[in-house]
Amino acid sequence: MHPPILNQMLSSVPDDSPLQPGEVALIGAGPGDPGLLTVRALRLLAQADTVIYDRLVGAGIMALLPPQCQTIYVGKAAGDHVLPQEEINQLLVRLARTGKRIVRLKGGDPYIFGRGGEEIEDLRHAGLSYRVIPGITAASGCATYAGIPLTHRDHAQSCTLVTGHLKKDGELDLNWQALAQPGQTLVFYMGVNSTVVITENLTAAGLAAETPVAVIERGTTAQQRVLRSTLDDLPRLVAREDIRPPSLLIIGSVTALAYDEFQPVVQESVAC
Amino acid sequence: MMNLPLVLRGSARPFVLVGGGQVAARKLLTLLKAGAQVQLIAPELHADIAACAGNPLLSIEQRPASLTETFDSGSLVVLATDNHALNKQLAINARKAGCLVCRCDETEDNDFIFPAVIDRSPLLVSISTSGASPALTRHVRQRLEAFLPQEYRDLGAFAERLRGQIKQQLAAPLRAGFWRRWIGSLAPELILARQAERAEAVTAELLNGDVEEQGEVYLVGAGPGDPDLLTFRALRLIQSADVVFYDRLVNPLILDFIHPQAERFYVGKAKSDHAVPQEGINQLLVDAARSGKKVLRLKGGDPFIFGRGGEEIEELAAAGIPFQVVPGITAASGCAAYAGIPLTHRDHAQSVRFVTGHLKNGTCDLPWQELVHPGQTLVIYMGLSGLPHICAQLMAAGMEKTTPVALVEKGTLPDQKVHVSTLEDMPDYIAGRTIQAPTLTIVGSVVSLHERLKWR
Repeated sequence: MHPPILNQMLSSVPDDSPLQPGEVALIGAGPGDPGLLTVRALRLLAQADTVIYDRLVGAGIMALLPPQCQTIYVGKAAGDHVLPQEEINQLLVRLARTGKRIVRLKGGDPYIFGRGGEEIEDLRHAGLSYRVIPGITAASGCATYAGIPLTHRDHAQSCTLVTGHLKKDGELDLNWQALAQPGQTLVFYMGVNSTVVITENLTAAGLAAETPVAVIERGTTAQQRVLRSTLDDLPRLVAREDIRPPSLLIIGSVTALAYDEFQPVVQESVAC
Repeated sequence: MMNLPLVLRGSARPFVLVGGGQVAARKLLTLLKAGAQVQLIAPELHADIAACAGNPLLSIEQRPASLTETFDSGSLVVLATDNHALNKQLAINARKAGCLVCRCDETEDNDFIFPAVIDRSPLLVSISTSGASPALTRHVRQRLEAFLPQEYRDLGAFAERLRGQIKQQLAAPLRAGFWRRWIGSLAPELILARQAERAEAVTAELLNGDVEEQGEVYLVGAGPGDPDLLTFRALRLIQSADVVFYDRLVNPLILDFIHPQAERFYVGKAKSDHAVPQEGINQLLVDAARSGKKVLRLKGGDPFIFGRGGEEIEELAAAGIPFQVVPGITAASGCAAYAGIPLTHRDHAQSVRFVTGHLKNGTCDLPWQELVHPGQTLVIYMGLSGLPHICAQLMAAGMEKTTPVALVEKGTLPDQKVHVSTLEDMPDYIAGRTIQAPTLTIVGSVVSLHERLKWR
């Protein structure tokens, strides 16, 4: 490690104001690999009195917290809501009002399917101060570790990130016609339990049944699994391989590019 | 320096630990983890101590320590009661018996102390400020923790195994040279990237003297601008590279992290300022890697989201050059967080689409109809000069002309500006202003949250 790094790491940067008592930093922890935490995220974590985290934040990242820091787990797996969102929002407000320095640590990025906006809105209502630090979103982390470029001159000129989380009526309110158009990569977050709905709707809207897809389970962690198949086989693939959340679905011809032999992947299996 | 750091084998001497509270519990866990035999004396036991009761290394005497307590010579004594007078007297008794003493309540009266430890066994890093400042110790420890990923365990274990093999295979005078070459080779970085098999292969080649060493390319996302949004994995690879190729979107502050001896080359990438054309860049990467170097290709944002990373690795793969890709915070994510505009939101957007507004022949060819959906946020990369055209096309395709639009100028940098207008008014808005690249455009009702959620 050469001196500029040490200076950077050990002294605070002039424009980097420290976390204030009563302030909340909403921080994206990235997709799982602790190496994908940002420098700023770690700097703020070091100043926290209390860290509120959910299931998508891995043990490797929690190990970086100072030992005296209080941690509160608020769940967030599908079907394992330790605390409902409204109560998480209220908890943040309550704790910040006691004058503690709070970090709300979330998997991925707080403003891409992280419900960060709702948490911040409640803080603002309560007149509390806050800041938001982006994290590597699952689409970016998982695609990279699986060797799948999300955009590519010859394959995809755009990329759409979509939630696959079903509404109560079992439907997804999406513009399927637009999603079925060629020349783009589709990324479904939280979609592993909705593959039947996704495949049916995309196929009905005209996306070819043989469109390549990839499923990435526990992406960027040492347990990452990457499975490739085609759109029509997607629901069977998920059932056959017993794929569980957190998983990401990528749909589009970029998933047929296979450069992951050089990626830090421990376990790789190819379906079909 | 009046302290001497030594590393003690946990089982070398028995420990006596006096005290049953939280401080004692922490010391006990540290000692048991190191394989030390511990005799613990305390009238009441902290839950963490009670939980260790079955451990064969631990014997508990559940009673108060007396002022006349005696100690076996040769044991190490840790005093962790909250009674200063008792600790002081026990320290005297212990030293009389020839024991070394650690008092947890008094930094001036210690024969030994417990440093903070980063445990990547077999690698251990201990940090001590000689009792001067526990807060500083924690501070340094935490920073080092992040620089030593858990995979250092594997690196240590690999080196340990290799050491036995080297002793058998190489004559003593050759060993030091081998280790120098090995630690500077790709093998350690491959182990950290969880690629043990390739590390084995590189090591075997080194051992067999096949010094035609293959380099490697690291394709690394530098994030949207703020140097603090670099990831630790990116930082580590930036520091370890021998040669660096970077483009215009990389913050100069990030270039400061490059090793001073590394060669660095600017390869352009401003719109009409391709210092080196794309094909030329690929050839430079291949040539540098073939000469055995660790080559860093540093790009703004994320290499796989409008970074042409896919094309670059295709060329590398075709040339048989190994590579690693490290994601970066993409501009959409960085600008959204720093501008206070969530890209998805329960009440506004269930999806977000990234497109590039890069102009070709003065126009940009986007599937306008597909981009119009009220429940979707649209993010346009590189779209400043085409923005009037983009706004007009979106309206022509049926997007509401009152749809809010945010133009984030120099996103995440200290001089970031957020310009908010509507699809209809944005062209006039920018016509009257000087706006500097890089910019990012966000279109959709989430932009209406900016006024409420902005924080910088």
